[in-house]
Amino acid sequence: MSDDGNSVTPDGAEDGTVLQKPVDRRGALGMLAAGVAAGAAAASACRPLNAATPEERELRVLEWQEFTQKHYRRMTDAERAETIQRIERLAKIRHDEDVTIATTDAQPGVLFGYAFNISKCKGYRNCIEACINENNLDRASDTQYIRIFEMEDGGINLEEADATYQHEVPAEGHFYLGTQCFQCANPPCVPVCPVGATWQEPDGIVVIDYNWCVGCRACMAACPYWARRFNWAQAEVPLNEVNPNQHYLGNRARKKGVVEKCTFCIHRTRKGQLPACVAACPPGARVFGNLLDPDSEIRWVLANKHLFRLKEELATEPRYWYFSD
Amino acid sequence: MWTRLVNGVVCLAVVGIASGCVDEQRPERETAALAADTGLTDIDLAVAAFNAQRQPGELPTVQAAPVDRWAGPGARPFEVAVRTSKQEAGHPRRFGSITLETALRIRPVSQYPCTSCHFGRTVVMTDDRIDDAHQNIQPVHPEETGALCSTCHSADNVERLALAQGEPVTLTESYRLCAQCHFQQAEAWAGGAHGKRLDGWQGRRVVMGCGDCHDPHSPAIQQRIPFRAPELERARTTHE
Amino acid sequence: MHLRAFLLSALRSATSGGRRYHLWMGGLTVIMLAGGYAYLEQANHGLVVTGMNDHVSWGLYISNLAFLVGLAAAAVILVLPAYILKDVDFSQAVLIAEGVAVSALVMCLAFVMANSPGWPWKWWRLAPGVGLLNWPDSMLAWDVILLNGYLVLNLAIPFYILYSHYVGREPLKRKYVPFIYVSVFWAVSIHLVTAFLFSGLTARPFWNSALLGPRFLASAFTAGPAFMILLLGFIRSNSEYPISDSAISKLATVTAVAAQVNLVMLLSELIFEFFTPTHHNISARYLFFGLGEHDALVPWIRTGIALNVTATITLMIHPLRKNPRVLMWACAALFLGIWVEKGIGLVIPGFIPSPLGEIVEYAPTWVELWVTAGIWAMGMFVLTVLVRVALPIELGVLRSPHLEDSQPYRVVRPRSTRTRYPDVRPVRKR
Ligand code: SF4
Ligand code: SF4
Repeated sequence: MSDDGNSVTPDGAEDGTVLQKPVDRRGALGMLAAGVAAGAAAASACRPLNAATPEERELRVLEWQEFTQKHYRRMTDAERAETIQRIERLAKIRHDEDVTIATTDAQPGVLFGYAFNISKCKGYRNCIEACINENNLDRASDTQYIRIFEMEDGGINLEEADATYQHEVPAEGHFYLGTQCFQCANPPCVPVCPVGATWQEPDGIVVIDYNWCVGCRACMAACPYWARRFNWAQAEVPLNEVNPNQHYLGNRARKKGVVEKCTFCIHRTRKGQLPACVAACPPGARVFGNLLDPDSEIRWVLANKHLFRLKEELATEPRYWYFSD
Repeated sequence: MWTRLVNGVVCLAVVGIASGCVDEQRPERETAALAADTGLTDIDLAVAAFNAQRQPGELPTVQAAPVDRWAGPGARPFEVAVRTSKQEAGHPRRFGSITLETALRIRPVSQYPCTSCHFGRTVVMTDDRIDDAHQNIQPVHPEETGALCSTCHSADNVERLALAQGEPVTLTESYRLCAQCHFQQAEAWAGGAHGKRLDGWQGRRVVMGCGDCHDPHSPAIQQRIPFRAPELERARTTHE
Repeated sequence: MHLRAFLLSALRSATSGGRRYHLWMGGLTVIMLAGGYAYLEQANHGLVVTGMNDHVSWGLYISNLAFLVGLAAAAVILVLPAYILKDVDFSQAVLIAEGVAVSALVMCLAFVMANSPGWPWKWWRLAPGVGLLNWPDSMLAWDVILLNGYLVLNLAIPFYILYSHYVGREPLKRKYVPFIYVSVFWAVSIHLVTAFLFSGLTARPFWNSALLGPRFLASAFTAGPAFMILLLGFIRSNSEYPISDSAISKLATVTAVAAQVNLVMLLSELIFEFFTPTHHNISARYLFFGLGEHDALVPWIRTGIALNVTATITLMIHPLRKNPRVLMWACAALFLGIWVEKGIGLVIPGFIPSPLGEIVEYAPTWVELWVTAGIWAMGMFVLTVLVRVALPIELGVLRSPHLEDSQPYRVVRPRSTRTRYPDVRPVRKR
């Protein structure tokens, strides 16, 4: 099932080396440097190798390889395939999950845009629910990428808005405004990362290499839209609720100590599907599409509706617009 | 020398105290039960789950007839999802406090055919009805707007719909009917700003018809309980 | 041969001392061990054991980093006059200032590590070549480079000087003075870069102010010399090491001036925030007055400002400043006040409310407090060891046993302070 999308959108798999850097010597050096650094740390975590069962031994080797793996953008296609295989195997060993992890690249000629209709949103939060299920968000801390703010008619004031309303919706005299990662065209979260673990893809999605992130949270401080979440502990998803249809840069399992965020459901949208929040929104308040396609719905909305974006003065240029009827 | 010894003992004691403190901090990591109090029905969950897996191109649709002068973006033809009674057809139907039972309405309404009471004859619109006998139809729409039953229903057969000029239309084509008054909404709908696209952002464009969301007799969206709220302090209470 | 002897005698010097010394070092060791245990706890369970959360994603650790970078940078206040302007009064104190810088830097790096427990074993990702250092874009990358560089400079220069004295040579100016120049600029830049780490974030209006960099410098030049005065006062009353009154009185003047500049800047920030209230001052409102029932920081910042103002006024009054006892108290108050104002008072309100207006407050947990205490203990430990090694060498007591001439090499010659600065009384009679 997860491969069907490729018939719709052939993935540009040969575009493996984004940074065009020589890789072999780096890899070897990486192993060396990491070896010195991690030796002490690993030693305390590892029991003696000979005392372990074959599976534990395999886990140890895989974890070591995971620890020393390269930055995603510097991997060759072969290395990517190997990495994916390793992650799938690790999911099996660690959590007994059978998952499929894609590395689908951005489709050429596609730049994603999103529009949110503040007069249509009724505050149901079905998007939040769909997002939790779709993206394997941590159930223990109740991580949510999306916030729906209930605001009084007459002005947009985030300080006065309430995202924790518990009554029947839509409430009289109120409107609803949803936020999530806006995939800014000029994302302030990207340059602050000391190790380049977060970047913008050609289709506009700002992604994180969870295996490279060191968890300094500079990006969380830099995001003006509070779009990033941290894994304060190991995320927990009940086995029967895991969405096995995953992407390396998207909803695959995150370890503790790394940052995550909305990726416009990269595993769905790169196959032509709609993000889960768009698909789940009962009143259809969410419009999603390709900004480079002049005949797309999103372009129609941009051309025909009165629009605004949040915090325009910060020049982040979010690719996420608000409009009303 | 003895001070070093004493230091060692004190050190152990403090570490012990510290670990005591730490133990209290240890997070209670029980997994939250999902959706117990959300007020959503199983249908919503099932549909959402199905939606998550449905591939583009799986929905049954009909080609949309042009809505007056409004075509879709780029004047490209688009399609309207056919409503069926099957859950799998695509999207949560539950709106407000009612769940729209959506039979395949290309055929006449079959749930409570008018002829089951008014039998033996075609029901003619009289714009005058016995309320108690039609509890399932709340005519808010005509009452609030001053429209008549015959604005939408065919004057000579209440089971049929007709445009102002008398041309009969099916329920799946309800947008043509609605667009007669709600031309702004129809324009936005054809453009993609109103209503909802199904079936992926790429490839053919499939949208929902008017009656998929709005009960024609009482079109305003009803209130309902939303999905559970975020807990702002949750991250803190997990480890305190 | 000399080097081995140097290290050995350094070790001996650092491990021998009176009962009070052992109690002090033992106490620090205990706190460090407890901190280490708390750190392991946080490394095992994740940062969930801290008070930080998705809303307040930096806490006590980064607060201390912001403050300690200032302490490290403040060494320049003594380095510049002592080495470059050839100020004799500071020449005895400068090595101690560099020791303070080293220990502050050790603490800074430790706080960066504690803030993201992934770092100690993921540090190689920053290494150029094997990793991917996002330089020059990332201020944090700058910060890590600069902190490490400054650490190396502040270790290398004193080491060279001390080692030369140890083996009975006069250190060669051309060998270390160029590095002194570098370190002067370096000191200013580590501090400014740390300020830019915050002020460059448009997402947080509370930090996003051009004044933040200068404010960082002013507060650093207040807290740093204040700490130096405390330390020099202690050394002077507990050792033979000659610290002239004029050194202390000059430092006190520097502190008094910087404290006033710091207050002026604080005042101008306050007026900017509150004279025309906008949405942007909401964090400042939270800090100083609280928002509704959310007012966790209000007592802290008010105490901090009160300490700052009182101490600054005290230092501005000449007779009070010249009274050693009052001076010590004022310096302690300034140090604490600036720790509050520039540590937790700067970092935490930046996150409250969140950019989307949600208010979640922050309170450190015991794990965080222990880790913080452990890191401070480590800093004090390092500082004590450095001072313990430097003083006997500078006094000429500690010299290489391989030297033929066993005469103590006297580097510093105590002078009568009374004759040169008759209005300054010695801190304590020796
Ligand atoms: S919304 Fe925040 S996380 Fe998303 S791209 Fe913009 S700055 Fe980055
Ligand atoms: S938390 Fe991760 S992604 Fe964010 S800035 Fe730090 S290393 Fe980069």
